[in-house]
Amino acid sequence: MNWKNVVRLISVDMKSGRLIRGQKFRRYRERRVFQYLLYGGACVLGLAIGLAVGNLYIGLPDPELKSLFYQSARYLLTSLPTLILLYSLVITMMGQIQRMGVRSSIQLPYWLPITWEEHTLASTLAHLIGLPLASIILFSSAISVFSIFLGELPFATLTVPALLASVFLASATTEIFRVLQVRLIGAIYKTSGRTAVWVRFLGSLLFLIAFYIIWFSLTSGASSIALIETVAGAQNAVWFIPYVWLGMALASFMSGLLVQTVVFSVASILFILVLFYAAVRLNAKFGLYEPPAITVSRGVYVPKAGFLGKLGFSSLEAAVIRKDFKAFTRRRELMYIFVMPIVFILMPLMQYSGMLGKPVAPEASPFLYAWMLLAPGALMAIMLGTMIIGEEGSSVWLFYSSPITAHSLVKCKYAFICILSCIVTLVCGVIGILIAHPSPHLAFALLIESMLLIFALGAVSLRAGIKGADFVEVPRPRMIRPLTALVNFLLCGILMLAILSPLIPYAVTMMNLPVPMPIPKIDLYIAISISVVIAVVITFLFYRIVLKNAEEFLLKAEI
Amino acid sequence: MISTSEYAVKLEKVAKRYADIVAVDYIDLDVKYGEIFGLLGPNGSGKSTTLKMVLGLVKPDSGSVNVLGINADDDPVTVKRHVGYVPESPRLYEFLTGLEYVDFVADIYSVDASEKKMRIEEYLEAFDLEGREGDMISSYSQGMKQKIALISAFLHKPKLLVLDEPLTGLDPKSARIVKDLLRKLASQGVTTIMSTHILEIAQAMCDRIAIMYEGRLLALGNMEELRQKARLPGSDLEEIFLKLTGTEAIREVVEALLK
Repeated sequence: MNWKNVVRLISVDMKSGRLIRGQKFRRYRERRVFQYLLYGGACVLGLAIGLAVGNLYIGLPDPELKSLFYQSARYLLTSLPTLILLYSLVITMMGQIQRMGVRSSIQLPYWLPITWEEHTLASTLAHLIGLPLASIILFSSAISVFSIFLGELPFATLTVPALLASVFLASATTEIFRVLQVRLIGAIYKTSGRTAVWVRFLGSLLFLIAFYIIWFSLTSGASSIALIETVAGAQNAVWFIPYVWLGMALASFMSGLLVQTVVFSVASILFILVLFYAAVRLNAKFGLYEPPAITVSRGVYVPKAGFLGKLGFSSLEAAVIRKDFKAFTRRRELMYIFVMPIVFILMPLMQYSGMLGKPVAPEASPFLYAWMLLAPGALMAIMLGTMIIGEEGSSVWLFYSSPITAHSLVKCKYAFICILSCIVTLVCGVIGILIAHPSPHLAFALLIESMLLIFALGAVSLRAGIKGADFVEVPRPRMIRPLTALVNFLLCGILMLAILSPLIPYAVTMMNLPVPMPIPKIDLYIAISISVVIAVVITFLFYRIVLKNAEEFLLKAEI
Repeated sequence: MISTSEYAVKLEKVAKRYADIVAVDYIDLDVKYGEIFGLLGPNGSGKSTTLKMVLGLVKPDSGSVNVLGINADDDPVTVKRHVGYVPESPRLYEFLTGLEYVDFVADIYSVDASEKKMRIEEYLEAFDLEGREGDMISSYSQGMKQKIALISAFLHKPKLLVLDEPLTGLDPKSARIVKDLLRKLASQGVTTIMSTHILEIAQAMCDRIAIMYEGRLLALGNMEELRQKARLPGSDLEEIFLKLTGTEAIREVVEALLK
C-alpha cells in the first residue's frame, strides 16, 4: 500500500468538503489556519471539560458521593467505545445519504494507478473527516485530563485508541453500506422495470424515515440517557456481537481481567481487518458498477391533456409544475422534503403511544393534533420555498434562455409549494382526526390556520429561495446558501407566531393553562379573522417582493 | 414586435470583463438574416461569452446588443421566444426521460399540442433516439444528450439559432442531419450563429466567419476575405486561423513535448 496515495486521496476529499461550504470558486485559496480550527477547538474544549469535571470530582466533600461519581465515570468510560461507534455510524451514514444525490461521481481513482486497498482506506478515513474526528478529539482530550484526577491514566491510554478504533469500525461499515447500496439499487432497477421510479421513491422514503427515527430516538434528551444506560448494561449480555468487543476489552481491563482484555483487543483488531478487507473486495467487485437505465415510459407518445390548464395555468407554467413534481419524486436529494413531514408525524405519535418512553397524557391530544396539522405543512412550505429555485442546479440555463416571465416563474413555483404543502396538511389532518378526535371547532380552526401558514410562509421562503439560490451541484447540490436558509427559518418562526398569536388567548382558556396574568376571552372566529388579516398582509407583501426579486433574477442571468 | 431590419443580430461596441479578465473587448458584429455565421477562436477567446450576450444570458458591461430588431435589454422575453439555443455543454434535467424533456421544452415555448407531437416524433426518429426516448436522461451518452439539446432548440421553429459547439459528441449521421438542416433552414431565412473548433465544418458550412482572440475580433468575412486578410491565397481555414491567432509554431511545440 502506498501511504502517500492514501494521504493525497484524503486531502482531495477534505478539499471537496471545504468547497461545499465555500462561496467563491474562482481564485480559490486554502486557508490552512481555518482548516484545523475545528479540531483545535475540539481539543481545547475537551481539555477544559476534563479539567472542569476533574476539579468538580476533587472538590466533592462527601466520600460516598465521590465513590458514586467514580463508579459512574468508570461505567460510562467502559461503554464509550460502543456509544461512539453508534453515533459515528449514524453520522457517517448521514454523510453518505447526502452524497447519494451527487450527479457526477469523481472517477479519477479508477484510472489512476491507485489500488483498491488505497482507495478504500482513503474513502473510509475520509468519512471521519469533520464532525466524527472532532468528537473523538474532544472526548479523548477530556478523558485524558479527567483520568489524571480519577487516578486512571493507564485506563485512559487504552480508551483513546479504543475510541479511534470505534470510529474506524463505523466508517468501514458505512463504506460497505455505500458499495452495497449502489449494487442493490441497480439490481432493484433491473427487476422492477417501468415501476423502478416508484420503487426507488418509496424505497428511499422508507429508508430515510427509518434512519431519521433512529437518529431522533438516539439524540433526544431522555432517550439518549436511556441509551447510555442500556449500552452500559447490555454490553456484557451481547458480548458475541463483534461491534461491542472494544467496549468489552475496556470493561475487562477495568476489572483487572488481563487475559480477557488481550482476547477482546486482538479479536477487535481482527474484526476491523476483516471488515476493511470486505470493503476492499466489495469495492473491487462493484466499485465501477453502473446502475442500469430507468425506463419510465414505452409506447406511443400522447401529449398531456392539461388538467393544470383548466386551473388557469399557461402551458409554460403547467410544464414547470409537472417538471418540479417529477424532480421531487425522482431526485433522491429532494425526497427529504417528504421525509420530514412524515417523521414530524411519526415522532409525536410514537411518543403518544409510549414507544419512546413514557406515554403522553390523553389531555395533551389537542396539542398533538395542533402539532400534526400545523407543523408538517408549514415546514414543507418553508423547505420547498427555499429549495425550489436552487434545485434547478446547472440546468437553470434553460430558464434564463427561455421566454419565461417573472410573473409566470413566481406563479408556477408558488403554486407548486402551496399545492404540495396543502395536500400534506390534509393527509396529516385526517390522520390527526383518527388519532386525537378533536372537536369540529378545533379541527376547523387549525385547518384554516395551517393553510394561512402555508400561503404566508411559502411566499416568505420563496423570496429567500430566489435571493439565496445556489446552483452549485458538485460535490453535492447546495440549492440555498446556508445563511439565507437560517435567516429565513428565523423569520418564518417570528411570522408564524404573529399569525397564530390571535388564537393564543383562546387556546389558553380552552386548555385551562396556568398563566401569570388574566387573559381576556376572545371568540374563536374573531381570533381566526384577525389571523387571516395578518396572514393575507404578509402573503401579499412578500408575493410583491418575490415578483420584484424574480425580475432581477431573470435579468441578472450570469451563467 | 420583430422588425424587418437588415441584420438579425447587431452588436455595437460590446465589452464584458470578469474581474481582471477581459472576455470581450469592444467588438462590433453584424449577422444578416438567413446567414450561417461561424465564430472561431482558441479556448478562452470570448466566443461563448459573445453568444451568451446575444441571448441575454450575460449582460455586457458596455455597448448594445440588438437581436431580430429588438434591443435584447428592452424586451428579453420576446427575443428568447424566437431564439433556439444550445449551450457548450448542455446540462439537462437528468431525472426526466428524453421524451419528457423535449415535451417540457415544447410547452415552455407554447408549441401547439398536435404540432408538438408530430415534430417530437419526427426529430426523435431522425436522430435515432426512438426506443430510448422513455429512458431517464441520466443514462444517456454525451452524444444522446447533445441530440436532445439540439431537438429542444429546433422544436419551436426559431428565427435565430445560437449554437455553441453544436456537433460535439454527435455520430456522423446525426452531424450530417444537423448540417443539412441548418442549410435548409438558412434558405428559409433562419439565421444561425455557431461556434466551433472543427474548422473544416466552419469552412464548409458558414457563409461568413469571425475569428476571435483574447476578446477581440481578429478577422471577419467569407473565406476569400479571410485569405486576403491573412495574405494566404488558396489556403484553408486551418492555416488562416493559425496564422491570425499567432499559434502557427506547432512543429516546435510538438518537438519540445517529445524531448
